[in-house]
Amino acid sequence: MVTGAIAVMDAVNLLQNPFGYSAPIWRLFNEAPHAGAFPAVAPDIATGTASTPAAPATLRLQARIRDSRVVDTRFRAHGCPTTIAVGAWIANWMVGRDVEELTQLGARVLRAELEIPDDRAHCALIGEDALQALLSAIRGISA
Amino acid sequence: MIYLDYAATTPLDPQVFDAMLPYLAPGGADLLWANPASTHAPGFRARAGVEKARAQVAALIGAEPGEIVWTSGATESNNLAIKGALEFRGLDGAHVVTSRTEHKCVLDTCRYLETRGVRVTYLKPEADGIVTPEQVLEALTPQTALVSLMWVNNETGAIQDVERLAPLLRARGIQFHVDAVQAAGKLNIDLHATPIDLLSLSAHKLYGPKGVGALFVRKRPRARLAPQIHGGGHEQGMRSGTLATHQLVGMGAAFEVAASRREDDARKLGDLREALWQRLSVLPRILRNSPSSALSAAPHILNVSFEGVEGESLRASLPGVAVSSGSACSSATQEPSYVLRALGRSDEQANASLRFSLGRLTTAAEIEAAAARVIEKVQWLRELSPLWTP
Repeated sequence: MVTGAIAVMDAVNLLQNPFGYSAPIWRLFNEAPHAGAFPAVAPDIATGTASTPAAPATLRLQARIRDSRVVDTRFRAHGCPTTIAVGAWIANWMVGRDVEELTQLGARVLRAELEIPDDRAHCALIGEDALQALLSAIRGISA
Repeated sequence: MIYLDYAATTPLDPQVFDAMLPYLAPGGADLLWANPASTHAPGFRARAGVEKARAQVAALIGAEPGEIVWTSGATESNNLAIKGALEFRGLDGAHVVTSRTEHKCVLDTCRYLETRGVRVTYLKPEADGIVTPEQVLEALTPQTALVSLMWVNNETGAIQDVERLAPLLRARGIQFHVDAVQAAGKLNIDLHATPIDLLSLSAHKLYGPKGVGALFVRKRPRARLAPQIHGGGHEQGMRSGTLATHQLVGMGAAFEVAASRREDDARKLGDLREALWQRLSVLPRILRNSPSSALSAAPHILNVSFEGVEGESLRASLPGVAVSSGSACSSATQEPSYVLRALGRSDEQANASLRFSLGRLTTAAEIEAAAARVIEKVQWLRELSPLWTP
């Protein structure tokens, strides 16, 4: 009885997430909140981009800044589902936060939040690198 | 789920399933589960099933039943053909010609033989995946003992012109082994007319059971092999081991079904493949990795690269479509398709490729639905990519 129930659950999971990604990665890859780009360059928009030699991956983060606070974000990504999920997670997380808070997010937190396995550690690092690039750009528009 | 991975494996044909059941059933007055090597009535009956299957397999490829040696599958057939032929001849100074786009079980067997002192030439196909007979002839040396090529490439569907090459090698006294796993049941194979010496077959690619295959070993002129599995002297001493009657009966039934419908299947599959390509062609910047000429492409395989998308995400975005991917995970331990790279495709092109392989159960509605999903997801991933410029 129990075995049968587990088999049914496994079958459902296999159909919905057959490749075994972690639940947050799979959800963010499919929903991709804040995907896209702001339509035009504006003085209150900062952009940070990073790539990695470990994989064919590029992540671009954009943030609209008002009074040292992130009011809206966009991301674009070329890479595996984990890279896309990292971009979506950061873009979602940044909204409403003070710019200073952004400095506290790093690869370690990303790996924990998205349950990123060791062989995808570079996907968290690309997120950290893109965020650092974004922070540099934010400081540029603030200066 | 839309299943478009028939080059990986196929479901059992219902007639095959029915043919196998009596040999699996524990009861029954005929005792068909008996050992076909036994010398009593149940053993003779089981043996009759095995020999009927041997004739059914031979009939599809224009061979004699006595030229069929049962194996556990095409991997074993390829191992037996290549290692067996070379070991019978003697490895010292031997030379083998093959191509870079062969199945791993051929390439790994050749690499093993290299460790034993055999010299191997790996030919590079043209961009369409074809190795010309002239390329093969140029690679021959006085020490060449064997040429091994696959009839139909499992990733691209490219058809090698083995029918033109075979008599050229026969005239030079060089043995010719052909991996025909993807060709059987799709192309006309007539070994009475085509002087191939050794030819590998699999059941499960042709609606038969997994775990069983065969090697055609020509009788006249006789192709000689050193056995790779010893004990008992089954299969004319070339492959020992108790015969798996139910599997062999299943393979025989599958090949008989295939013979009865090969031309209709090929026509239908070719039409569906072209419909799929036409539908996908609404996308800009896609690359057909399969040959576009109907004469050079098996009817059931279409391999396409989608520029501007990452392969793993493309595959993951299609959980409801079962296709094979040329993508490697980002892990440094895996590489994109070596077949597509051998055709000159870049890592990115190989990585962002999908192999659609069609089968008897594929419908036009499935093709339309799969194409619509692929188009939607490719467009989405391109829009998401900061590197994509329309």
